[in-house]
Order: sequence, then structure tokens, then C-alpha cells
Amino acid sequence: MPEAIELRGLTRWYGKRRGVIDLEADVHEGEVFGFLGPNGAGKTTTIRMLLGLIRSSSGAARILGLDPWTDAAALHRRLAHLGSDPGYLGDMNAASLLDYLGALRGLPRGAWRRFAERLELDPSVPVRKLSRGNRQKVGVVQVFMGREPLLVMDEPSTGLDPLMQREFLALVAEARAEGRTVFLSSHNLPEVERACDRVAIIREGRLVKIATVVALVGDHTRSVNLVLGSPAPEGAFALPGVTVLSSTGQDVHLMVRGDVNALIGRLGDLDVRDIAISTPDVEDLFFRYYEGTVAGSEKRDLTPEQPEVVHGEAPR
Amino acid sequence: MIGLAFRLELHRSRVIAVGLAIVVLLYGGLIAALYPILLANTAMIEDYMKLFPKEIMAGFGMTGSLADPGIFFTTYIGSFLWPVVAAIAAIVLATRPSAADADRGWADVVLATPLTRSRHLGAGILGQVVVLAALAFVTVGGVLGVGALVGAGFDTGRFLAAGGVLWLFGCGMAGVTSLAAVITLSRGAAAAVTAGLLIAMYLLNIVAQVQPDLAWLGGLSAFRYAGVGALIDRGTVDWVGVGVFAVVAVAGWAASLVLFRRRDLLP
Repeated sequence: MPEAIELRGLTRWYGKRRGVIDLEADVHEGEVFGFLGPNGAGKTTTIRMLLGLIRSSSGAARILGLDPWTDAAALHRRLAHLGSDPGYLGDMNAASLLDYLGALRGLPRGAWRRFAERLELDPSVPVRKLSRGNRQKVGVVQVFMGREPLLVMDEPSTGLDPLMQREFLALVAEARAEGRTVFLSSHNLPEVERACDRVAIIREGRLVKIATVVALVGDHTRSVNLVLGSPAPEGAFALPGVTVLSSTGQDVHLMVRGDVNALIGRLGDLDVRDIAISTPDVEDLFFRYYEGTVAGSEKRDLTPEQPEVVHGEAPR
Repeated sequence: MIGLAFRLELHRSRVIAVGLAIVVLLYGGLIAALYPILLANTAMIEDYMKLFPKEIMAGFGMTGSLADPGIFFTTYIGSFLWPVVAAIAAIVLATRPSAADADRGWADVVLATPLTRSRHLGAGILGQVVVLAALAFVTVGGVLGVGALVGAGFDTGRFLAAGGVLWLFGCGMAGVTSLAAVITLSRGAAAAVTAGLLIAMYLLNIVAQVQPDLAWLGGLSAFRYAGVGALIDRGTVDWVGVGVFAVVAVAGWAASLVLFRRRDLLP
């Protein structure tokens, strides 16, 4: 698969201060690639290098086959960018601003209109009078209104209300369906989980993990809480990958790593009254890699307040 | 594409341009309205002016009689109002495409489009050229217009030529400011450089006039070349001054364009 973005040992120092170090990654054409990390991890530095706004200290980046520093003009005809807090000119209204940016990209006047309607953006209001969320809508409209094959977005849905976040995710899905590549930097983890095919986690300037969201979630532990009709026999949960975290007779709390089939088979032999299985979301995984302490993250994985919880009767 | 950016640049400059135009128009008009009174009381005013150190007066371009239109214009406009107005315009306009836009994030927005850095900054430079030309024209126009109303008898052609020198002086300041802004990416630092240079050159010009053995220092001061008294009164063009301002302006802008294309843009 051709690569939309290739990072090879990409490094940036600000004097003695770390920007990013030795980034190695490929973003495939047509995929939605999430770039996760907290403030200061190096996300924006990476994006600024991808856009040719700053140079790398060492290493290289190729974007759509082009060097972002030396081929910036050619590259910018093929990508659209949305910054985390775009410095739009406050005295222009959204319509004028979007027409101007559209004209620079060779788009006809009003190319933004249908996107503004979808996001319920009033284009007649001066940008300085817009709320944070509405300013962000201007940015979302601006990035999607063209036909560029690569979209680079830094915290794109910050400030959007849940309905608009859903609309934003729909726009991302449409872009992917059209074969466009989306590079999405975020710390909105549920959004990344829902939007992205693959995720890279950056920690203190270094990439610590790149994987598909499915693989990232699937490879990790699940928390299983059981309510039994009668206490389980001794050694009932002595199965590969299963650890008993607590057992108070009829209430059992397990941690399961990897394949859950063996456990499900064993539950058929027990009098299970209730079961709750919590799968880790990207947020848990992000904290795992960011904190760098497996034990700490496993505690997180095992907390009962997980967003994806399956309740129901176990097979008998 | 540079046309689009240039039109936006003019749009963004309208407040500062109109504000400064009103100032120069009102001030120039007022001064011109007073010219006939000054002419009628030349002897008395010259006696009064003798009370002040002649070096300071020379620093303001008062090297002859205020009754001479050239000395009059240089004293009140060329060496006083215009450097201040041009410096304000230069600082606001010449720091905007680089330092200010990088700081506010607008540079990130437009420079991620097919608009190149050179075209973005080039549009800004064109904006400076046009706005400074308009301000110089309005400055001279105000004096000429009110002068005509009060029968001052100003020579339109020579005053317009003086406006050209004022414009070049402003362009020189804008070129230097633009370069400082690109180097520092700080509007405050670039403003300090421009204001500092202006004050230093003003003082240099005074020192050069006070100390005959340091007269050569005057050649380093823009104020040496900014006087348009001889041009208005005798029709003599200071081509060295014109050349210095033009070279400084073009060199400053050209260096800005080269450096801006090569440097990291950090907010």
C-alpha cells in the first residue's frame, strides 16, 4: 500500500529542549491515522514539520512523496490543514474567511456552504464574535471543503458539542470513503477510537506504540466480574491468561489477558447469575503507554467504570 | 494568488491607514493654515526661535527661515510628523506578515495552503509600499490643499516630489522593520529596533551638527537625507538620499523574503 506519510528517524530539538525524537511511522493512503499524546508530547511539533513550517533537526519526512520543507508549495496543493487553535482574522466573517482560504486553494466561492449547513455554522458572524466551538466549526468546514487527498488535523473537535462531534466523525468517515488520508492528532480518545484505523501513541517526544485500534484494544486485558449462585470450586479459574484478583465466595473478579474462550467454556460449568466484562478502551491503553507502568495501567483496566461493558447471562 | 493576499493585506491595513491619514491630514492642514500668519510675522518668530539651541533646531530641519516653504515643511512635517507616522505605519505593517501572523497563528493557516511564504510576505511588502505612498500623498496633499485655500503659494510639483522622498524614507524604515521582524519573529523586538534606530539616528544627526569634527556621523543618519528643504525651495534633488532610502528599503525587503523562506516559523 502506498504511504501518504513516511517518517524516518524524524527528530526535532529546540536548542537543548526536546521536541520529538526519532519518529518512525508510515501512514497508509486512505487510512485515518490517530496521533495520541498529551500536551507537550510532541504532536504539534510533528505536525509543523509535516507542514513544512519548521525543519527537522535530523531524519526525514515524506508526505505524499514530497519533502515538506523543500517541496512545500507542491505539497500544500495536496493537503488541507486544521490547527488546534487557528488564528483566524477576527474582523472577517466566516463566509469571507472561508472564501478567501478557498480561493487560495483554487476552490469556487461558497464551496464551504454545504459543510457550514451541516455543522450549523452561521457564516455571517465575524470570527471574533464566535464562541470557541463555533470557531472550531469554521476550522472543520475549512479543512473539509476542498478535495485534497490528505487532511492533517490537530485537535479538530475541541470545543464541538456532542452532536457536532458526531457530525465531524461522519465527515471523517466520508473522507475515508473517498480514499482521502486523514492524520488526526488528538487527546480526545473516544473520538480517536471511533474515527481511526490505526493509532500512534507519542510519549515525551517518542513514539511508543503504533497499532490498529482493533489490535490495540484486542491484545489487552479484560476485567470480568462474576456473581455466582454458589461459590466456585477450588481452582475453577486456573486457566491460561486468567488471574483471580478477588473472590468473596459468590463475587469473583478476574483479569483475562488474550483469548477469553477458555474462560467462557469454564463459566458454562458454573452457576453464573450475572457477568460484567469490561474491555479496555483507547483511553486505558493510552494511559498504559503514557504512564509506562503496566501495573498501574492494569489497575485502570480493572476498574468497573469502563465505557464498553457487556451485561448478561453467561452460557450454561 | 499574490493578488488575493495583497487585497487582504490592504483590507487589514485600512484602520491604521485611515487613522494615520486623518492625523497627517489634520496636522498638515493646520500647519498649512498657519503659514500665512507665520509669513506675516517672520521677523518676530525668528527672534523667538533664536531662544532655542540651534543644534536642536537643526535636528528638526530648521536650518534657515521658517518663511521658506521648504524649511517650513521640513521643520513641521519632514523631520517631525512624518518620521513618527512612518515609524508607526512601518512597525504595524512590516511586522504583521511575519512576526505578528506567526504569533497569532494566521501564518500557520495561510502557509498551509498553496500560498507560498514568499507570496505571503511579498503581499505584505506591497501593502507597505502602497499604504506608505498613500500616507505620503495625503500628508503632502493636506498641506497643498489647505495651502491653496489660504493662498500660501506652495509649489505643487516640488511638494509632490518631496512627498516622494517622504515615501522612500518610510519605505526604508519598513524595509529595516520587516527584516527585524523576520529575524526575531517578535513584533515587540522589531518595533524596538525601528524605534531605537530612529531615535539613535536623530541624536546622531544632532551630534553631527553640534560637533563639526563629528560631522561625518551625520552621514549615518537617515535624517541627513530626509530633509526636503532644498528640494522644495530650490528644486534640488538629493539623489544620494533618494538612493540611500531606496537601497535600504529594497535590501531590507529582499533580505526579509530570503530569510522568511528559510527560517522556522514558530508561534
